[in-house]
Amino acid sequence: MTGDLLIDSLISVAAIALMVGVAWAFFRAPAQPVTEAAAAERLAFDEPDFRPVRWLADAKGRAVIAEGADGDVAVVSRLGTDLVTRRFPAGAVRASAETGALTIRPGDPGSRRLVIEAEGAAEWARKLGAAGVN
Amino acid sequence: MEFPDIIAYAVPAFLVLVIVEIVAARLTGRGRYEAGDSAASLAMGFGSQLAPLFGGAAILLALFMAAYEFRLTTIPNTWWAVLLCFVLDDFRYYWWHRISHERRWFWASHVVHHSSQHYNLTTALRQPWTGNILGSILFKTPLVFLGFHPAMVAFVGAINLLYQFWIHTELIDRMGPFEWLFNTPSHHRVHHATNPRYLDANYAGTLIVWDRLFGTFVPEDRHEKPRYGIIKNLGTYNPLVISFHEWIGIAKDVSKAKSLKEVAGYAFGPPGWSPDGSRLTSKLIKERWARTHGEEAAAELAPAPSPAAQPAE
Repeated sequence: MTGDLLIDSLISVAAIALMVGVAWAFFRAPAQPVTEAAAAERLAFDEPDFRPVRWLADAKGRAVIAEGADGDVAVVSRLGTDLVTRRFPAGAVRASAETGALTIRPGDPGSRRLVIEAEGAAEWARKLGAAGVN
Repeated sequence: MEFPDIIAYAVPAFLVLVIVEIVAARLTGRGRYEAGDSAASLAMGFGSQLAPLFGGAAILLALFMAAYEFRLTTIPNTWWAVLLCFVLDDFRYYWWHRISHERRWFWASHVVHHSSQHYNLTTALRQPWTGNILGSILFKTPLVFLGFHPAMVAFVGAINLLYQFWIHTELIDRMGPFEWLFNTPSHHRVHHATNPRYLDANYAGTLIVWDRLFGTFVPEDRHEKPRYGIIKNLGTYNPLVISFHEWIGIAKDVSKAKSLKEVAGYAFGPPGWSPDGSRLTSKLIKERWARTHGEEAAAELAPAPSPAAQPAE
């Protein structure tokens, strides 16, 4: 790395920090929990033919899982102020119960592991596990 | 005629304009920012400037320059040549951009630019790191073969890139007759939207006339606010995931392919292609939307009749 490139890079990093800092200062907001209503609204856009019949929401508002009328499962999670959805065919969810929480590994390269702490997590994990990959 | 490095001059303006947009968006409520999203976008932009150092850019650049030795004619470096070169390069850009959406191999790189659920000036800077894998600069060589100097081709490309910076905003609404000819924030919001009616539209760089000409123009509907991002939005701001997730997806799919046809489909078919049709391409999403939204939606998706097919008056 040449000296000029290093200096240019440091200036760029400083400029990035300034822009991100200003964005944070003007748009900072407490993280909104993922509610069933918000998840349903997002799912209606992303998966319009998905009809949720049963929900499990994380106690900390990080994610919500829904079972559809056709047996498919959808997960809605939070990324900043936005929501991210994933839908799986019945039996294709990698789920497990860990210390009272339902852990879901979506398995696609753009997703991360999701944890849903809620009453009934173990039951969901059993059901999802029985249906498919565990 | 000298061709300055206008991108280098523009970088301080990017900084100022982003800060102005943040403040204006906060005050007016038109547009929104999220620090994590902006950090990811700007990290992608920063990385895209460094990536060519590691990706064999020098070889591609040498090939690009060498093409000039085999030119059909020599076009002088004059103002009219710059103008002509700009229009031709913008036409090339339209097709390059369209292919980048319609073929997964190219989409794997371009998806980075669309992977934010926000639409602001930092989104403009969310650029891929893997452009060199595609050899994107080589797609400009036809202009060099024609006789435009490589420096001129690079210069008009930079103008086009700069033009596209300011259109990534929700602050500017409609721009009147300017919208007839030029790409604008409104047109480009449509391009970044995932609403079914807006998918695969408005590929223009500077001149929107290419979309109007080739049937890919869709106006922004005041009753349907664009929702930005990609069909399967990313669940992370990690730049490595943003950069490589689609490439990893291709590799995973290809590794499971049962035939060469499937390999070709996964790598070079439309994004979302699968052998059994179990995944959704944008075409299937639009068809599903048309089914659930009745005749009006179906009419919107129907290809416009060619002049020859129109009834004579």
